[in-house]
Formats: sequence, C-alpha cells, structure tokens
Amino acid sequence: MATPKGGNFGKVLEIDLSKQTFKTRPVSDEILQQYIGGRGLGAYYAVTEYKQGKNALDEDAFVFVGPGPLSGTMAVSHRTCFAHKSPYTGLMTHAETGAHLASEIKFAGWDGLYIKGRARKPIWLSIVNDKVEFKDASKMWGKTTDESHEMMVKEMKDPEIRTAVIGPAGENGVPFACIIVERFRAAARSGTGMVFGDKKLKGFAVRGTKYAVPVADNAKFLAAARVNKEANMQGEAWEGIKKWGTGGLMELKHFLHGSLVVKNYQTTWFPDIVKIGGEEAMRTFWKRHAACTNCPTHCLKLGVIRGGKYSGLVAEGPEYESGGLLGSNLGMTKFDEMIALIEACDAYGLDNISTGGVLAFATEAMEKGALKPTDLDGLKPKWNDGDTYMEMIRKIAYQEGKAGKLMAKGVRKMSKEIGKGSEAYANHVKGKELAAHDPRGDKIRAYSYTMGTCGGDHHEGQGPQALGMTAMADSLCICSFTNFLVYGAGTDKIITDMLNPLCGWNWKTEDYWTTAKRIMTTERVFNVREGISSKDDRLPIRMYKEKLPAGPRKDVIFTDADQKDMETKTYGFFGWDEKGIPTEASLKAYGLDYLIPDVNAAKKKYNL
Amino acid sequence: MEEKKLPDVLEKETTRRAFLRGTATAAGSALAITAIGGIAPKKAEAQYSVQGVPGTKPYAQKYRFAERQNCTGCRSCEFACSLFHTGNVRPALSRIYLAKYKDIVDVPVMCWHCDDTPCINACPTTPKAIQKDAKTNGIVLDPKICLGAKCMKCQEACPAKYIRGNADTGQPLICDLCGGDPQCVKACMEQAGNPQGPCLQGRPVGIGVNMAFRDVTPDQAGKDLANLLFYPNVEGKRVVPAKTKTKKGR
Repeated sequence: MATPKGGNFGKVLEIDLSKQTFKTRPVSDEILQQYIGGRGLGAYYAVTEYKQGKNALDEDAFVFVGPGPLSGTMAVSHRTCFAHKSPYTGLMTHAETGAHLASEIKFAGWDGLYIKGRARKPIWLSIVNDKVEFKDASKMWGKTTDESHEMMVKEMKDPEIRTAVIGPAGENGVPFACIIVERFRAAARSGTGMVFGDKKLKGFAVRGTKYAVPVADNAKFLAAARVNKEANMQGEAWEGIKKWGTGGLMELKHFLHGSLVVKNYQTTWFPDIVKIGGEEAMRTFWKRHAACTNCPTHCLKLGVIRGGKYSGLVAEGPEYESGGLLGSNLGMTKFDEMIALIEACDAYGLDNISTGGVLAFATEAMEKGALKPTDLDGLKPKWNDGDTYMEMIRKIAYQEGKAGKLMAKGVRKMSKEIGKGSEAYANHVKGKELAAHDPRGDKIRAYSYTMGTCGGDHHEGQGPQALGMTAMADSLCICSFTNFLVYGAGTDKIITDMLNPLCGWNWKTEDYWTTAKRIMTTERVFNVREGISSKDDRLPIRMYKEKLPAGPRKDVIFTDADQKDMETKTYGFFGWDEKGIPTEASLKAYGLDYLIPDVNAAKKKYNL
Repeated sequence: MEEKKLPDVLEKETTRRAFLRGTATAAGSALAITAIGGIAPKKAEAQYSVQGVPGTKPYAQKYRFAERQNCTGCRSCEFACSLFHTGNVRPALSRIYLAKYKDIVDVPVMCWHCDDTPCINACPTTPKAIQKDAKTNGIVLDPKICLGAKCMKCQEACPAKYIRGNADTGQPLICDLCGGDPQCVKACMEQAGNPQGPCLQGRPVGIGVNMAFRDVTPDQAGKDLANLLFYPNVEGKRVVPAKTKTKKGR
C-alpha cells in the first residue's frame, strides 16, 4: 500500500457519531489513482461496503465528504462532493457545492470526511486541523441554516471557519433536504440533509491552518496549473458568467434556446421572464459578485431588495436553476416574491429544484382537479401566487399537516398517491424532479437527466463524453464552469498534465478516460444492484407525449428515436449492454473484476 | 510674516502661474520624500503595470490600495502570497488575508506600508526586528531578532489591525511586498475582473491612497462595506422566513 506522493495525504477522517470517536482511515495511492476522490472515492466505498438493498438511513450508512487532489492547490478547484446512498431515490448519489470548504478540509490535513453512525442527541462537529470535537447542538436544532451557521461561528470564535449545516427540513426528514454551505451555497439534489438529520448531525465546521497540500513536482505542477488558470481567465464565453452568473441564462434559454421550464414543463414560452430574469436582477438587485476559492469566474451574485414587502432581504440568486424552478416554473412575475421563495428554501435547507418541482406539480394537479384544497389543508395554489407558495414551502420543511406530509414525499410518490391521471404530468426521472432545462428544447440535456447516476439531475454531463468528464470533474472536485466547459476537447490533456506532477503519477490521456468510465461504471453497478436498467433511463411521459406549444422550439417532442440514439451512444461509450448493464469485458477492462459477481446476481434477480 | 509678504507676491505679473508652479514643485518633492524615502530608483521593480493594460509602463508598487467593494472573496491573493513566501499554498501563512463580515462581504486585510511606521516604532528590540526596505518600501522581518509570540508589540501598534501571528513560529506575518513585485496584486489584477474592475492595486505613492483607509479595523471596514452595498440590511440578517418554529427531532 503506497502512500500518495502528492495531491493527497492518504488520510480520510473517519467519524463515528454513535460512539463519538474518530480515527484516520488510510487510503492508498492505488485506490486514489483509480477513484481520485470526492464522487469516485465515495462510490468505491459504497459499492464495496454496502450490500444490495442497504437502507440509506441505517446507523452505519455513511456520507463521504470529499475534496479532490487539486483542492487547495494553485489549480482552480473548489468543489466539495457529498457522496452517499440517497434516501430519496435509493440510488448512489453525489451532491457538489462550491465555496471554500474543500480547501479548508485539505488545509486541515484530510483527504475527506467519512461520517457514519447516529448520535443520540443532536450534535455538531468541529474539525480544527487534527482535532475533532463533538459539540451539543440542542440549541441549534430547529434553527434555520444561517442561524446555525452564525451560532457555530460564535462558538468557535473564528469567522473564517467553513460550515456545512442542515435546516429544519433535514431535521424533519424531508427526503429532498440539502446541506447549506457557508450560508449561500447548497449541496443539494440527493437528500444529504435527510441523512444528516437522521444521524442527528446538525452540521460541521472546518478550519485548517496546519497543512499544505503536498506536491510531487512543484515547478512542473505550477506551470500546468498556470495553463489551467489562464484558460479560465481568457475564456470569452465566461465573461458572461462573470457578469450575469447563471441568472442571465433565464432570458437566453427563453428567447433563443427554447428550453426554459414554465408551469410544470407545460411550455417553454414565458415572456414575463423579463420581470424576473437576470436583466431585472442586474438592474435592481445584484450588489456584489462573489467567488469560490481561487476562482476567476465569480458566478455568485448577492443582492438586496430595497422597498416593498421584502425590503432588506439579502439573498443570493436568482441562478438559472433556482430562478427557473421557483420563478418561471411557478409562473412568478414578481421578482421580490421569487427571491423570497429561493431564500426561504435556503433558510429551511430545502433543495430549490425539487421544491420547485413539487410546488409546480401540486399547482397543476389542483388545476386539473386531481388535488382538492382539502388535500392541502385548505391551500389552493395558483400560478404566480407567492404567498401560498411561501406557506407551502414552510409546510414541507416542517412536514406540517396533511399538506406538508404529502408534498414532502416528492413528485413520484405524490402522483402515485393521488392518481387520477397525474402520472401524465409528474415530471421526474428515477424519482427525482427535473431541473430547469426542458429536454424537448435542450435535447442533449436528456443525457444528464436519464443517463446520469443520480437521475433527474441537470449536472451529470450532456452527451456520453461529457458524462465521463463530469464524473472526473466531480471526483477531482472541479467545477464544470472551470473545467471541460472551458477546455472542450483539450480537457483530458490539461487535467493529466496537472495530475502527473501533483500526484507523481504517470498518466496518459487514455488513463483519464479509463478512470472516467471506471467511476461511472462503479456507480452504475451500484444502481444496477438496486434494480436500475434501461427501462428506468427514461424521461417523464410528458416529454414523449406533448409537443411544445410555443416558443423557439414550437412543436418539438422527444421522440423514441431520440431515446434510442441516446441509449446506444451512452451504453456504447461506457461499455454497457443494450439494457444498460456493464458487460463483463468492460468491467475487466476498468479493473472492476470484483464487481462481476454483483452484476451477475443482479441480472438474475431482475431478469435482465 | 506671511501676511506681510502676500501683497508683494500679488503685485508681480505672472504670480498666479508661478504660484501654481511653485506649489506643484513643492508638492512633488514632498510626495517623493514621503513616498519613497528620498530614494527614487529609475528602474521600476514591478513587472506589472497598475492598470493591467498591455503596453502601459510598469512602475514601482510601493504602496497598495484595495477597492474593497470589488473584492469577490476568491482568496487568490492569499494563495499567491503563501505560495511566494512558503513555497506551498497555505493561506494561514499569507501576508494578506480576507476577513468575513456577517457573511455578506469580504474585506481584504493588508499592510498599507505607512510612512510613519507605527509597527516598527513599537518594535522593542535593538536593532529592530522589522525594518523597511528603503528600495521596495516592504517591511522585512528578521526572524533571528524577533521575539515572537510573547512580544507582538507590532500587532498592538498596527492601526489597521492587520498583523497576525505565524501559526508555526509565532512571529508576526508582515508584508515585504515580495521584493517589489507584489504577487497578491498580480493575482487579483489577473483574475478578479469584476465588471467594476479588480480590487487590489499597487501604487508608486502613498498619499491619498492609504491615509483614509488604514486607520480602520477589518470589522469597521466590513461595516462600511455592508452599509455601502446592502443598505438597508447592513447586518445581512435573513428577512425571510419570518416564521420558524422549534420542533423536536424525530
């Protein structure tokens, strides 16, 4: 077992919440070369430690919080990955977030945090370099994410600590609850908040001052990191992201691309977008640009509402996803109300995207008569009704009353429960709500929704190669805005050039692709064990049945031919068979021989 | 005395122009003296021009200035600084750092290279453990003389509350301007690229750039900035949701 020469310390901090103990879990260079870190390493732990049908909320279920080898170096790498089995979808899942958490974990001397067990009373963790403390969180329990963050800062007496906390939604077991990092960033979409809540873990705070990331060949690495950074600083398209964040896409996707989501994916045409989009935000709302660690693309926009009902509201956004799902998808035309909905979700620790999907589904179900106000405690959601939506968000977060309990189940279970033809407009993939890109207008996004590990996620890569590159980006913990979206075809070379001198590896560009395929296939095997196959890699029914009624992509539909094409290309690229099951030959090629029995057992069990 | 002279001066014909010229020269020499301590090397140390515009003449960056409202909080200054001084990226040892204020603004906390040098005046050792490099205007620490954590008189004296201790040695972390080519300015110039412009800048003179801002603690600077950007919510408090309630865990 070789210790890493650079990039990693070879130590993961293993924390047992039940016994309130911690220890160092060594990681060998061989494993790190195969699974990198973050998402890949989390998938490796899950697939080797879990048996089929493992309950994601078991006491010994883990959450792996991983930075990557490039975090805390001169390369642009600042994402933190939360990898675990999702209690929401029952599949392998990963949630990434920005901010400064990843480098702080590295400066504290760890390659990742492996958190398992369940505390008897609410606790939170403070991790300062090698020291881990289990602190009482009974006063924090029930508090919103920003209040908890503030209490942690106060107790640690250090404003520079980096925190990750859950809100009331996670505590109350909402399956799409998220983790909020440093107040404004979220690791969402995979129910990590619910797992934390189940573990009675309010959150953790990290401060690292003692260590620097070791580098095998400093001069060579710095030169390579320089190439990486310059590509980021010079990318012309990213001037847009710098100026507008992703919020500027709202108008663009509406007017030009025809893939904005409107009123539960009924259409993509919503001229009122000008009242809630990036331009309105630029004119009246945004006051400050903020960046993650060492990143030239400062995509986070902070603003304040001046005047009106929500005067003084300081918030982040709208981003394309939050503004799409809690704005146009709910037919919102009032900017401040939309921002208030986004901010409420962040405060309660709810995933903006899934919450928006649930609210829109409930509204359409009410419109079509599948739901009655009595089902929702007398609430009668209508498009553009900010106050009712605000109340619904609160009910979801606290699972309050009949309405809260119903809506906290998510779209898939809701539509199953209410029936009455609501499956036709229940928009989810593998049980997870879609993000703000209509796959009829943005057909290549369907790869991400259907073929990605998590299901329903917009951020898994558009196209077979991009799926692989995203797997690498999430394992290296690099943001896609500073990675393959900038480099394009040169990504493999830029990344390999950085990794070799950093970690003392001897990679060729082919190794980049083998690793990408290995990580994707590992996750796929995990999901195949849970019963996933090509029958699940499908978009919601609406995308195949209803033509877009208006907009730049009027009359477009996602056809069966599109579906077939997507399956052939993806399965072919990763070496999976026509049912989406990794073949024995490709498992061997990726060095995943140990998973062959699992795949064969799953094939037999599910008749594939 | 001056009042007596005044009529004489006014009687002269070209008085106004001469007066202006005279003032300019006087101010110029005063500037030169304050700014560069009497030595004005012709060759500029910095290889990077202040405006970041190609083709502009680079000049010595003896003082720094921060457009605080432009800071994106990316910490590239910390990364560049610690890399230059320690060979590794380790922001805890950076000679410039960001202070968070109420999570809504970041304040770059840095050495202003004051001409009246309160930190050096406060240094109790003989010879002084910290001294100004006459050529670059950077403050250089002699680790052999410095008393370290038990002293920190410089930290107390710093009007900007900038100086912090080295986590390893206990000695103060003070800015030496990287020998005349401050890496933090370079990093910020390159990548901040805010629509309004970058935050850190290097200047050949200190007058007008450091006096108004240096006597402000990081906390006060954060307050100022929050007031400037986020009025009326200068504390950055969350307004929504109004209703939260405590519920016991499952």
